[in-house]
Amino acid sequence: MDFVSISVNGTELAGPAEPRNLLVEFLRANGLTGTHVGCDTSQCGACNVLVDGKLIKSCTAFAVELQGRSVTTIEGVAVGGALHPIQRAFHDYHGLQCGFCTPGMIIAALALLQENTKPTEDEIRAFLAGSICRCTGYQNIVTAIQAAAEQMESGNV
Amino acid sequence: MDYARPTELEEALLLLKQKPWTVLAGGTDFYPALGAGPLKQDVLDINGLPELAGITETDDHVVIGARTSWTEIMRHPLPPAFDMLKQAAREVGSIQIQNRGTVAGNLCNASPAADGMPPLLALDARVELRSADEGQRLVRLSEFVLGNRKTALRPGELVTAVHVPRHATAGRSSFVKLGARRYLIISIAMAAARIALEGERIVEAAVAVGSCSAVAQRIEGLEQALIGRYISNISELVVDYPLSELSPIDDVRGSAEYRRLGAREIVERALLQAAFTDAERGVAA
Ligand SMILES: Cc1cc2nc3c(=O)[nH]c(=O)nc-3n(C[C@H](O)[C@H](O)[C@H](O)COP(=O)(O)OP(=O)(O)OC[C@H]3O[C@@H](n4cnc5c(N)ncnc54)[C@H](O)[C@@H]3O)c2cc1C
Ligand code: FES
Ligand code: FES
Repeated sequence: MDFVSISVNGTELAGPAEPRNLLVEFLRANGLTGTHVGCDTSQCGACNVLVDGKLIKSCTAFAVELQGRSVTTIEGVAVGGALHPIQRAFHDYHGLQCGFCTPGMIIAALALLQENTKPTEDEIRAFLAGSICRCTGYQNIVTAIQAAAEQMESGNV
Repeated sequence: MDYARPTELEEALLLLKQKPWTVLAGGTDFYPALGAGPLKQDVLDINGLPELAGITETDDHVVIGARTSWTEIMRHPLPPAFDMLKQAAREVGSIQIQNRGTVAGNLCNASPAADGMPPLLALDARVELRSADEGQRLVRLSEFVLGNRKTALRPGELVTAVHVPRHATAGRSSFVKLGARRYLIISIAMAAARIALEGERIVEAAVAVGSCSAVAQRIEGLEQALIGRYISNISELVVDYPLSELSPIDDVRGSAEYRRLGAREIVERALLQAAFTDAERGVAA
C-alpha cells in the first residue's frame, strides 16, 4: 500500500492506494463520484479529468502516477456554487439526456475552450472524438459548447 | 506488484537489470490490456526521467525523447519532412490519447497497425536503446520491430529515444490513414510518403505502408521507380507497381483484397499530397 497525495480541485486529496488503483478509482473512493467509468478500453471519456490543465482519461493512469500533480474534476468546475458557463449552456441547450457522459463532456469542453476560444463545429467534433455519448447524437453538445464559447468570449457569464 | 518511478536514468537501468519490469510510458496501450483482477507485473514508470523528455536537434539528428507525446510532436516546429509524422499524430486515437501516448511506446508495442511506423520508416529512424551492462546502441527501426508484438528489445534494455538522421529529412511528406470512420479507429491501412524534388523531378523518395503486413515496411521498388521521374508520372507509376511486398490479411476490419486496393489508393494520395505541396512551394519561392 502506497500513500498518495494529489491536489484535486485546489485541495490536497491524500490517502492510501494500492499501486494498482486507477486514478478514477482513487477519486471515487474518496467521495468524488462525478467522474464516471463507462468502459474498460480507454474509449469513452466518461472519466475525463485535467492533469496540470491537460485532458486525460482517469481510467488510463494509476493514482500513484499522479503523486504531487494537480487534477481538475467535474466537482471543481463550478465556481462558488454558481454553474460554470459551460455547465449552464449544457443545461440551457439540452446538451444531455441521461447525463452519464456529461461530466466527461464538460471537462473535455473546458480543455478545448482553454486552448481555442472560438472553435468551429468541426474542431469541436474532432476534439470530442474520445468522448462518447449514447443519447444525444452530439448535436446539442456541439451547440452548447458553441454557446458557452460565445458567452465566455463576450465576458457575459 | 512493485511500482517504481525512478528520477534518474541510471537508477532505472539498474532496476531493469535486477528483474523484468513492464515499462510504463503514456500507458495508452498498457491500461486497456490490463483487464480486471490483481496486477502481477512489476511496473517501471519512466515519466520521472528528465533524460527521456523532449525533442532536441543536433547537427546530424533530430532526437525524439522516449517520453515525447503525440501532442508534443504536433506542436514542435519541425521541417516539412516531419509533416507525415504530425499528420499521423493527429490521427492517433483522440486528444486524451495524444496527450499521454508516446511515439516510442507506439513503436515498442509493435502493433501492425501502429500509426507511427510508416512515417518513422520513411524518415529512416533509429531506435536508441540503453541498458546498465551494454550502454547505448542504435538499431534501425526496420530491424527493431520484428513482428506482431515482437521487438529487438533485450532484457534489461530501455528505449531512450528515436533518432531521425538529417539526411532523411529532405523534401516534403504526407500521411494517409484508411479507417472505417474518421476518429478513434484502428487503421485498415496507412501510407506515408516523403519526396524531394528538383523542379518537378523526383530526386529522393521514401514510401512506407502499414497494416498490410505483420510489420509496416518501406516499398523500395516503388521508391526506385519514382526516382528520376516527374511528379506528373506519380499516378501511372503507382498503378503499374505490383505492391507484391504487401501480405495483407482478412480480419474484422477489412478483407485482404480491400486492403490491397486501399493501400494502392492511399500510397498514391500520400505521394501526390507530398509532391504538390512541394511543387507549389517551388513556384512560390
Ligand atoms: C482509445 C485508443 C485509441 C488508440 N488509437 C490509436 C491509433 O489510432 N493509432 C495507433 O497507432 N495507436 C492507437 N492507440 C494505441 C496507443 O495509444 C499508441 O500505441 C501509443 O503511442 C502508445 O504509447 P504509450 O506511451 O501510451 O505506451 P504504453 O502503453 O506506456 O506502452 C506500450 C508498450 O511499450 C512498452 N514501452 C513503452 N515505452 C517504452 C520504452 N521507453 N522502453 C521500452 N518499452 C517501452 C510498454 O512496456 C508497453 O509494452 C490507441 C489506444 C487507445 C486506448
Ligand atoms: S472509463 Fe471509458 S475512457 Fe475511461
Ligand atoms: S447523455 Fe446519455 S450518454 Fe450522453
